[in-house]
Amino acid sequence: MIWVETLINGALLGGLYGLLGIGLALVFGVMRVVNIAHGEFMVLSAFCAVLLSNLFPQVSPLLMLIPVIALSFAVGWLYQALIVNRVVTSPDPLSPLLLTFGVSVILRNVMVEIFGADVRSLQVGELSRASLEVAGLNIGIMPLLTLVLAALLFMALQLVLRHTEFGRIVRATADRRDIVRLSGVKPDRVYNYVMGLSLALGAIGGVLLAVRSSFTPFSGAERLLIAFEVVVLGGLGSFWGALLGGIALGMAQLIGLKIDPNAGLLYAHLLFFIMLLIRPSGLVSSRV
Amino acid sequence: MASAIVLVAVIAGAPFVLNEGFLRLATECLLLLTMAQMWNLLAGYAGLVSLGHQVFIAFGAYALFLTSGWLEVTPIWVLPVAPLVAAAVAAIIAFPLFRLRDAYFSIAMWVFAEIIGAFTMKSQAVGGTSGVPLATSKLIDFDWFEPTMFWLAGGLTLVTIAALYKMMTSSFGLGLMSVRDNDLAAMSVGVDVRHNRFIAFVLSAAGCGLAGALSFMGNLFIAPLAAFDVNWSVYMMFIVIIGGIGTLEGPILGVFIFFGLRELMTGPLGLSGGWYLVGLGIIAVVVMIVAPRGIWPALRDRLGVRLLDVHRAAPRPAVAAIPPTTSERVTG
Repeated sequence: MIWVETLINGALLGGLYGLLGIGLALVFGVMRVVNIAHGEFMVLSAFCAVLLSNLFPQVSPLLMLIPVIALSFAVGWLYQALIVNRVVTSPDPLSPLLLTFGVSVILRNVMVEIFGADVRSLQVGELSRASLEVAGLNIGIMPLLTLVLAALLFMALQLVLRHTEFGRIVRATADRRDIVRLSGVKPDRVYNYVMGLSLALGAIGGVLLAVRSSFTPFSGAERLLIAFEVVVLGGLGSFWGALLGGIALGMAQLIGLKIDPNAGLLYAHLLFFIMLLIRPSGLVSSRV
Repeated sequence: MASAIVLVAVIAGAPFVLNEGFLRLATECLLLLTMAQMWNLLAGYAGLVSLGHQVFIAFGAYALFLTSGWLEVTPIWVLPVAPLVAAAVAAIIAFPLFRLRDAYFSIAMWVFAEIIGAFTMKSQAVGGTSGVPLATSKLIDFDWFEPTMFWLAGGLTLVTIAALYKMMTSSFGLGLMSVRDNDLAAMSVGVDVRHNRFIAFVLSAAGCGLAGALSFMGNLFIAPLAAFDVNWSVYMMFIVIIGGIGTLEGPILGVFIFFGLRELMTGPLGLSGGWYLVGLGIIAVVVMIVAPRGIWPALRDRLGVRLLDVHRAAPRPAVAAIPPTTSERVTG
C-alpha cells in the first residue's frame, strides 16, 4: 500500500516537473536554444514570491503567483530582447549555450550576494498539510492541485499554439525564421514573447516547487537538470510527452527516496541516464 | 625554440625568487591554465562543450588519493594513475554520450557528473561527504613541497601547450578542426568524425584528471563538494571564452584576466567571491556578444601578432599563375 501511495505521489510531483520542463521545451522548440539559465530564473521567481509574501503577510502566497508571473514575463521579454537575440542566429550552435550558461552564473551569484545562501521556503499554511483519504491512501491536496494546474496549462498552451493567430505565427517562426519575414513577422519580436511565456511558465513551476520543498540560490542547477531531463525523456515537440517524462522522473525520485532517504535527485538522474542508454533514437536532437 | 628554453628556465628558477604565497598562486594559475586548455581542446577544436568536466578532475584526484593510500608511496610517484583513470572513464562514457549533440551532450555530461558526485558522497569507502585527507602526506618532504608542486604544474602546462601545438599542426589536428568547421564537408573528404572527437574527449579528460590530481594534492585534502563543483567547468569555460575559443593563446590571456580580476576584486576592492564571479560572468557575456571568438583573436587581427598560431595559409589559387592580360599590364 505504501508503494502505491509513493507511486501516486510521484505522479503528482511529476506534474510539477512537467511544468519545469515545458518552458525549456517551448524555447528549444521555437528557437533551438537550450536556455541554461532557466533554472536560475525559476529560483529568482521563487525569491520574488517570498519577498512579496513577506511584504503582504495577510495575502495568500499562492495569489502572489499573479504578480510574479507578470514580472517573469517582462523579465523574459527583456532577457531575450537584450541578450539572447544577439546570438540566436549565430552560425555556431554553441554560442547560445555558452551565453545562457554565463547568464546563469551571474544570476546565481547575484542571488547569493543579495538574498544570502540560507535555505528558504514558501509557506502556504494549512493548504500544504491538507490531504485526502481515498481508499486508504493519503494524498496531499496541494500536489493534487499542482497536477491539475499543470494539465490545464498544458492544454491551454496546446490550444494557443494550435488555434490562435499568435500560435500560428510562433509555429511558422519555428519552422522557417527567414520565410515568415515575407509575411511581415519579425522573428526577434516573436522570440521575445516566447521567452516571456517560457519564463512565466517557469515561474509557476518555480513558485510551486518552492511551496513543496525548500530552496537556496544554488537550486537553479538541479531545477535546470530536471527540466532538461523532462524534455528529453518526453521527446521533443510533445507537451504531453513532457508531462509523462515529468511523471516518470517524479516516480523515480520518490521511489529512490523510499529506498534511500538522502538520495536527493540521484534516482531521477539515473533513470534519465539509463533511458539514454537503451532508447537513444528518441533522444537524439533534431538539427536544423 | 629559444623562447621554450627561456620559459623552462623561468619556471625552474621561479621558486627561488617568489615567496610562498605567490608561488601557490602561480601553481594555481598554471593548473587552471592546463584545465582550460583541455576544455578548449574539446570545445574549441572538437566542438563539444562539456559542462561536466569537473567529473574528470574529481576522478583524477580521487584516483591519486586512494592509490597513494593503498600503496603507501609518495603521491608524486602515483601521479600517472590520475590521467589513466580519467581517460578510462571518458572512453567508457563516450559511448552513450556521443549519441547526443550540442546542448544535449553538454547537459548529459553535467548529469553524469552529478550522478558520480552523489555516489561519491554516499560511499564511505572514499570518505563520503566529509572527504579524505592525503594518507601519505607524512612521506612528503615539506621543505620542497611548494616548489615541487610549482615545477610539476609548470612542466605540465608547458608540455600541454607544446603537445597541443604539435597536435594542431598535424593531420589529426587538421581533421579535428575541419570537423568543427563543417562536419559534413569533413566527412566527405574522409575525416573520421567520431574517432577524432573520441580522441579529443579522452585526451581532454586525461589532462583534466592530472591537473585535478595536482590541484588537490596541493591541498592535501579532498571532499566531494569541492571536487565535483560545477564551478570547475565555469572557470574553464570563462577562461576560454574570454581569452579566445579555439586558439592556444586565448586561454593564456584568459587566465591572466581571470586571476587579475580575482586578485583585484577580492583584494584591494574587498568584494566577496560571489561578486567576483558576477563580474567575470558579465565580462564573459559581453565578450560573447561583442567579440564572439574572444579577446585574443580580436587583438591578433588588429595588431597582426602571431604567437602560437596554427593557421595555415591557403595554397595560392592556380589563377595567380596565369600571366596578366594586356589590359592589366597597361593599367598595372
